[in-house]
Amino acid sequence: MASETQAHPPAAGHGHDSHEHGHFGPEMWVIPEGPGLVADVNERQRTTPGIWRVVFYAGAILTILGIVGFLLKAFTAGFSDHRAWGFYVAAFAFVFTLTASAPLAACAFRFTKSHWRRPLSRIAEIFSLVSIVNILLFIPALIALPDIGVMHESGEQLVRRSIWFQELVNPSGWLLAGMIGLSFCSVAILWLAALPDMAQSRHLVTGFRASLYGRLAGGWYGTKRQWQIQKGGLAILGALYFMMVVFVQFLVVSDFAMAMIPGWKDSILPPFYTVISFQGGLASILLVAYVMRRWGGYRYLIGQAPFWAASKVLLGLTLLHTYHLFAFFITYWYGRLEVEQAILNYLMFDSYIGIFWAQLFFTFFIPFPILVSNHARREGWGAPLAAIFIVIGLMLWHIRIFAAAFAAAPAVEGGLYYLPSDAFSFPALLLPVPGATFPDLWDIFMILGGVGIVLLVFRIGMMLLPPLSLWEMKEGSMYQRVDTLIRGRYLVLAKPE
Amino acid sequence: MAMPGFLQQLRDAMYPPSRKQAILGLFQDAESAATAGDALKDAGVPDTDYDFLTDSPYPEGSLGEREEKHRLYLYPFIGALLGLSSGIMITAMSQVAYPLVTGGKPVLSLPPMAIVCYEGTMLGAILFTVIGIVFESRLPKFVLGLYDERITQGFLGLRVNAEPEQRYEVIQIMNSAGAVEVKTDQ
Repeated sequence: MASETQAHPPAAGHGHDSHEHGHFGPEMWVIPEGPGLVADVNERQRTTPGIWRVVFYAGAILTILGIVGFLLKAFTAGFSDHRAWGFYVAAFAFVFTLTASAPLAACAFRFTKSHWRRPLSRIAEIFSLVSIVNILLFIPALIALPDIGVMHESGEQLVRRSIWFQELVNPSGWLLAGMIGLSFCSVAILWLAALPDMAQSRHLVTGFRASLYGRLAGGWYGTKRQWQIQKGGLAILGALYFMMVVFVQFLVVSDFAMAMIPGWKDSILPPFYTVISFQGGLASILLVAYVMRRWGGYRYLIGQAPFWAASKVLLGLTLLHTYHLFAFFITYWYGRLEVEQAILNYLMFDSYIGIFWAQLFFTFFIPFPILVSNHARREGWGAPLAAIFIVIGLMLWHIRIFAAAFAAAPAVEGGLYYLPSDAFSFPALLLPVPGATFPDLWDIFMILGGVGIVLLVFRIGMMLLPPLSLWEMKEGSMYQRVDTLIRGRYLVLAKPE
Repeated sequence: MAMPGFLQQLRDAMYPPSRKQAILGLFQDAESAATAGDALKDAGVPDTDYDFLTDSPYPEGSLGEREEKHRLYLYPFIGALLGLSSGIMITAMSQVAYPLVTGGKPVLSLPPMAIVCYEGTMLGAILFTVIGIVFESRLPKFVLGLYDERITQGFLGLRVNAEPEQRYEVIQIMNSAGAVEVKTDQ
C-alpha cells in the first residue's frame, strides 16, 4: 500500500503543491494519500467547522418545532379524521423519499465500480441512520390511515380500495414490517461499509466513539476473508436493499396517496415515485457533499469529479421525472373518464394548480438548464445548485400528492368506502372535485420538523462515524493516478475486476 | 481476568487450545509482504496458517495469498425460502379463515397474496444475509488479538500461527523479507 501510494502526487490543497492534473483544473481529481488519511479525517472530525454547528442547531430547533406541531395537532385534531393528517403524511413521505434512496447510491455506484463515487459513498450511507427515524415518523401516519374494512350499520362490511387483501382490516403490521426491514437493511449496509473505518479509527478516538467503534468493529483485522465477506455482503445487501426500497416506496405511495383518492387507479404512480425518490436521494447526497467540500473542511479530499459525474445521473433522473409526469398526465387526459378528468383537475389544473406549476419549475424548468450546462457541471457547483431546486420541488410534490390525497374524501360510505358487491359499479369517485386544503400553523411546524430531523440525525451520524469512506478512498488511491499520454496528462484508472 | 470455570471449559470445547503461537510481521510495502508470504510457503508453512492484514482491499491474488472459500451466498436463499413460506402460510390461512369475496375475485387470489409473500421473502433474505455476514466474518470478537496500529497507516501485517519449533524460522523469514518489526503474542 505504502509503496503504491507514495508514487502518487500529493493531494491538492493538503499542504503540498497541487498534483499534476493535466488539462483539467487542479481540483477535478483529488487522489488522497493513503497513509495518514485515517488520522487526518479523525482529527478533522474533531475540530468542527462553524457550518456543522449551524446544521446541528438548525436541525435541533426545527425538530423541536416539528414535535411541538405534532403534539398540538394530536391534541387539537386527534386521529379519528385522517384528513387532519395530510400535511404530516406529506412531511413523512418527503423525508422518506429523500433518505430511503440515498444509501442505494453507494450500493449502485459500487456495483458499477465507479471510482468517482468514493468520496460520496459514506455520505450516502449515513442517510441510513435517518431510516431509523423514518420508522418513528411512520407510526402516526399508520395510526391516521383509515382501516381497509369497516362495519356498516346494516351489519355488512364496507371496504375501501387497497393493495392489500381485504380480509386484512388494517395493514399497519405489514407496512411497519416493511419499513423496519428496509431500515434494518440500510443500517446493516452502513455498519458493514463503516466496519473497516471504525476498526482503523478505534485507536485514534476517545470516549463514546472509542467504545462504540470497539463494540461495532470488534474483531476486524482486515484479513482477506473479512474483506471478501465485506465485499460480498455489501453486494448482496445492496441488491436486497434495491428490491426492498422499491417495494416499500410502492406500499407508501399506493396506501397513502393513490388509495386515498377515490377512483385513482394509476400504474404509473409507483414507478414515478421511485424515480422521484432516486432523484431526491442523489440530490441530497450532492448537497451534503458540496457543503462538506465548500465549507466543511474536506476540499482536499472531495474533488470536482464526483459532482461532474453525478450531475449526469441527476440530469437523467430529472428527465425521467418529467417523462413520468407527462405519462401520468397524457394517460388520464386521453382516458377522458369523468373520474380521470376529476383527478387531473384536482392534482394539476384546478385545486392545486399553483403548487403544481411551482413544483414543475423547481423540479424541471430551473434544474434542467443548469444540469445541461457542461460548464456548471464540470465546475462542481452546477449539480448542488440544481439539487437545491430539486429538493424544494420535491417537497412541493409531496404536499401536492400526499396532503391532497388525505384531504380528498371522508372515511364514510360514498367517500372512501363502498360495499364490496358494488365494486363493478365504480363507487366512491372523486366527484365533485374538492378544493385545495391549506396547512395550518401546526402543519407548517411539522413540515419544517421533517426537514430539521434529517439535518439533525445526519449531523449526529457525521459526528459518530467517519464521514468519508476511508477504506474506499485508500483503495481508490491504489487504482488512480495521473499519467502522460502523448502530450497530455490524464487520469488513469485501474479496474482490477 | 480469569474466566469462570464452566466458561473456560465451554471456550476450550469450542476453540481447543492450540500450541501455535501468533507472530505478526509488519511491512512498509506490499512487495515485501508478498515476498515474505512466498518464503513462508516455500518453508512449508501451510497457507491456512497465515493471513495478510491490510487497511484496504487488495486485488485478488495480488499478495499471493490463498483463495478464500465462503458460503455467504447461501444465506439469502435460505432466508428468502423461509420468508416466502411464511408469507404463503399467513396469507392463505387468513384468507381461508375469513372468506370475503371482493369484486368477484377468488377468495385465494394470488395478486394480493404476492405483496405479503414478497415482503416475507425480502425480510427473510435480509435477516439471514446479516446473520451470514456476522458468522462468515467470524465477528464479533471482543478481544483484539495481535495487531499493530500502523496497519491503519498503510503498512501491511502478515500474521502467522506458527508451531513453536517454526517460530524462529518464521521470524527470520519476515526479517529477511524486510519486515519493519516482528511481534509475537508472548
